[in-house]
Amino acid sequence: MVKKEESMAAIKVITGNSAAAYGAMLCRPEVVAMYPITPQTEVVEELSRFHAEGRLEAEMVEVEGENSAMNIVTAASAAGARVFTATSSYGLVFMYDALLQTAGYRVPVVMVIANRETPGITGVSAGQQDMISTRDSGWISLVASNCQEILDSVIMAYRLAEDSEVQLPVMVNYDGFYLSFLAEKVEIPSREKVDAFLSPLKNQPPRPVLVPGKPAGFGTHGLLEGYIELRYKHFAALERAKGKFEDIDRLFGKHFGRSYGGQVDAYRTDDAEIVLVAAGSVTGTAQRVVDLQREKGVKIGLVRLRMFRPFPRERLAQVLKGKKAIGVIDRSICFGWNCGPIFMEIRALTPEIGPIPMQSFICGMANMDVSTYQIDRMVELVQSASAGNEYQEVRWISMEE
Amino acid sequence: MLRPFQFKEEAGWSHADRLLLCLDTGSWRTVHPVVDNDKCSYCGFCSLYCPVQCMANRGDHFEPNLTYCKGCGICARECPRKAIVMEKEGDS
Amino acid sequence: MATKKGKLSKVFDYFSDQDPFAPGVSCCAGCPLELALRFMGKVLGRKDMVITGTPGCANPVLTGQNVGAWHTLTSYGTLMTSAASNATGLSRYYRKIGQDATVVCFNGDGCAADIGFQNLSGAAERNEKFIYICYDNEGYMNTGVQRSSTTPAGARTATTPVGPMRRGKPTRRKNLALLMAMHWIPYAATATLSHLEDFAEKLVKAKQKKEEGLSFIHIFCPCPTGWGVPSDIAIELCRTAVRTNYFPLWEAENGIVRITHEVKKPRPVSEYLNLVKKFSHMTPEEQQVVQEGIDFDYAFLTHLAKFRR
Repeated sequence: MVKKEESMAAIKVITGNSAAAYGAMLCRPEVVAMYPITPQTEVVEELSRFHAEGRLEAEMVEVEGENSAMNIVTAASAAGARVFTATSSYGLVFMYDALLQTAGYRVPVVMVIANRETPGITGVSAGQQDMISTRDSGWISLVASNCQEILDSVIMAYRLAEDSEVQLPVMVNYDGFYLSFLAEKVEIPSREKVDAFLSPLKNQPPRPVLVPGKPAGFGTHGLLEGYIELRYKHFAALERAKGKFEDIDRLFGKHFGRSYGGQVDAYRTDDAEIVLVAAGSVTGTAQRVVDLQREKGVKIGLVRLRMFRPFPRERLAQVLKGKKAIGVIDRSICFGWNCGPIFMEIRALTPEIGPIPMQSFICGMANMDVSTYQIDRMVELVQSASAGNEYQEVRWISMEE
Repeated sequence: MLRPFQFKEEAGWSHADRLLLCLDTGSWRTVHPVVDNDKCSYCGFCSLYCPVQCMANRGDHFEPNLTYCKGCGICARECPRKAIVMEKEGDS
Repeated sequence: MATKKGKLSKVFDYFSDQDPFAPGVSCCAGCPLELALRFMGKVLGRKDMVITGTPGCANPVLTGQNVGAWHTLTSYGTLMTSAASNATGLSRYYRKIGQDATVVCFNGDGCAADIGFQNLSGAAERNEKFIYICYDNEGYMNTGVQRSSTTPAGARTATTPVGPMRRGKPTRRKNLALLMAMHWIPYAATATLSHLEDFAEKLVKAKQKKEEGLSFIHIFCPCPTGWGVPSDIAIELCRTAVRTNYFPLWEAENGIVRITHEVKKPRPVSEYLNLVKKFSHMTPEEQQVVQEGIDFDYAFLTHLAKFRR
């Protein structure tokens, strides 16, 4: 029962959560697990509403906890279903054992995370610590920076996850509160267009699925070389995901008219001398600052990270090589390395890009806005470093007056 | 040069039709059951209670499959006619 | 004079399929769990079964080793925390696509009553359609006999030892089967390996009810290795447990309890306790405390069994 609404593209003003729900609904998941958690609750509420209205024909499971949510969708995916779920911080870390299982099981689960601060200090506020806490889970991790991109990333996520050369679960991160509750103009594509974009997946060799009565066991005990082989394959698949994501982004552009640059969006970086690196909604503000600074004659660019795992090493090395100084904005911290996590990973590119002065700016945690003034300050500091002056490697911008 | 892959798939699938594993559990035991056909009333309890399910139906009595019998002694214990005794390995 | 040949026990009539397990598997000699697995396999049949297994004593049999498998069933490995939620995902999807499936969880008490209880309770509340079989060996046996929440009071285990400072496990065990019945699921039952016809009937009933919702079967499954009993006693132990009302056999449909095996003259529980080494430290006073507990539990159960709508 396809309502008239879905047979044509529609322009609506919707929140980021709603955009995630629309993105999922259009891709026709077959099993959806739902559990409320701020700031993602609206996603599952919208999906429930779509189901009640007949726009989403899925098995909706109102689970008793996020751990169950992940297990339910993993098992359904292993049986052949297209699945979806949504969570945030506390829920994400509650499902951590299942998260690792899903990635190791190589099933194409798609999940959205409305980023929020993780447990440790009680908080119901935006931050990217939950994305960072699950870096090593083996999942593909994408980051969206505006509501349209959330919707589009969910569609791209299915195309990426279910690709037979990838077969990995994908999480789409977006800032809780800043994007989850922000209403923006979003173009919701028509169902036909989304179906057509995902239809090439049907022409691939089918992935192995669990069929009752067939003597096959999924989740075997990996022993010695067997275990290592499976890890090796997982590793290789993550590497392949990078190139695939570039292709998918290009195809998305051709099909829907919107393209985001692939693994990273390099904004005005070609002739830039100094560069800011960031991920998430802060890039919107940073982009504005870059434009204003350019008007003043500062040769500055912005690198927006769209794929966090696998880490887009080659693309970043390409973009950052030859720059005079780099500033990395982190809305989270890397415990033990005394810096921001994205900074730490960019720093690891030094052998490829050479010893460039890099500064880590820790800010924007716990719902504290990253303002244009703060970013102007960062630009000043990066400029000073590019001129050869001494610089402080790590600054807690939120702690400074 | 990589060694050839064990798994055809990307994830850990086991396939009974490619390799059905089996342990040599007959080598575990120190005693084995001996059935006295005269005493056996063919009720089948030894076969039902055998954890290994290795009691073979011989039409009028049951006999253990000594390739897999672990020598636990449940059959001897449960037989209502005391038709089974456990004998030490190496005696017969 | 040769004994007259009688008829084969009618338990054989319940078998719908061959034993799907390899003849030689790694269960201990005399392990009732091995009997439960093979029996269940023969009664329920392979045709549409998906069996899920978690870490535990059944794991080395249910889970493969690299490409090799120990059985010809369709199986899925889950985490200890998530047996019921994985089964939910499978059962929901198979139902959606119209695929015939009997999803069976086969887990130990550690998984069912402790670490995996949350999702079991959630699945029961949502009345998900699968069969959950818990083999209760009263502890975490595969890791070396540690206590679980179904370990009885007073039992000696590796984490509740006996010494001057303590006398085994201080608290009573959970009544897991009754807890599940109180989720008002279509079918909850207790069974054991000495009463095979009762067990078979319960398996068949559970399968028949799989379209209505969750079926839960709690099997009393002693561990000869872990409890300190000789390998040939396991079935007798089950029988003694039933005879002393230590483990009554009952079933509950939507919470209405019915005792399936009436014990007219229950034996004193000391008969059971004296067979098992993990209780060998108990004084007569401590055994009396156990007897009082058993009497209370049974009176409670019979009281529930009297309730009719």
